[in-house]
Amino acid sequence: MPNLKELKNRISSVKSTRKITSAMKMVAASKLRRAQELAESSRVYADSLSFILSSLAGNTKNSADLPEILTGRENSKISLLIINSSDRGLCGGFNSNLFRNAKKWISDQQGQGKSVKIMTVGKKASSFYKKTDLDIVASFEDLNSNDRQLQVSEEIKNKIMELFENNEIDEVSILFNKFVSAISQEPTYQSLIPLSNDETSEDESESNNAIFEFEPDKNELLEYLVPRNFLTQIYRSVLESSASEHAARMTSMDNATRNAGDMIDRLTLTYNRTRQAFITKELIEIISGAEAV
Amino acid sequence: MINLKVVSPQKVIFEKEVEMAVLPGAEGDFAAMPNHSPFISSLRPGQMAIMSSNKVDESFFVSGGLVMLKEKVCEVLVDQIEPLSDVNSSNYQQSKTYQELEGNETALGTFEQVVNNPPYK
Repeated sequence: MPNLKELKNRISSVKSTRKITSAMKMVAASKLRRAQELAESSRVYADSLSFILSSLAGNTKNSADLPEILTGRENSKISLLIINSSDRGLCGGFNSNLFRNAKKWISDQQGQGKSVKIMTVGKKASSFYKKTDLDIVASFEDLNSNDRQLQVSEEIKNKIMELFENNEIDEVSILFNKFVSAISQEPTYQSLIPLSNDETSEDESESNNAIFEFEPDKNELLEYLVPRNFLTQIYRSVLESSASEHAARMTSMDNATRNAGDMIDRLTLTYNRTRQAFITKELIEIISGAEAV
Repeated sequence: MINLKVVSPQKVIFEKEVEMAVLPGAEGDFAAMPNHSPFISSLRPGQMAIMSSNKVDESFFVSGGLVMLKEKVCEVLVDQIEPLSDVNSSNYQQSKTYQELEGNETALGTFEQVVNNPPYK
């Protein structure tokens, strides 16, 4: 027969766990709203910028005129993958899904004879990839405190520009959890170098309506635009990833709270049964004692 | 009237109908008015002025960016922006824009100049 005292302790500890998980759920929910707003309000800039970039690139008929950093190198040997993870745990399959996806991508690239370098964003990714034998070029941590997202995006951009110019990398892709809805996030790749094609072609029909004059000339504009575009794409992925993180945490903490509730119900039932059995046993003892007299 | 939309990487700063906006283009100031020919330009640090009947209604300092003009729309993608009504020559160094531009001497010089003596007043 289970010990009553033990059961009582068990129940109270599960109760306090439930308190913690439900508080974490609330916090995640309110942070999610903020992160979502931020992600949405930054979209306007990113959309306008990619529109301008595509009308610039679309007006240049000969793609050889475009700088390497836009079209990519012909014989690309080294790919860089930027992995956007979270800083903290307790967010369900958020990070493990991402890492599983990245592993597949990396072996794909290696199958094509390319070598892969990694840039990690978030503590989880850096501690995960430290244990592997992959080449980590840089790690960035602690993004979401004090609104450092834009600043960190800037640092990432500078780093990849520098690496590309030194011929240390030929291609850059970014991997992040895309925010689909509060219950679903999807690991997504976006190619930075070369500039992903679908985006350019999507806007092309629109941009052809108007033939723009450019000032200063195209190449000078591109020089300004290309790094700007990297920055906004990186910034956007960082924001999406943080919205996804909060969403993932919210759902997983919701589940944890519900599980804790179920567990408390079950434990309370056992506790009551045991208590009743105890009372019955005691009564039997008293009655049979009285009968014997 | 032309629809002026000012956007920073984080958010839409404002969007409104204006008669004319003067912008510091990379190769000289220009005025955005309805039915301007389609035009894309980068911006240099300087003053952005919203004008109506030859008077400046509102005035801003922009640290750089891009502008896209077509028909009745003028989209300005700015890096940093500061309304000049919020700053004067004694407190502009405390503004967020000033701190963000730290190290960029040309932009800071222009900021000081625009605060003390804006080209359009």
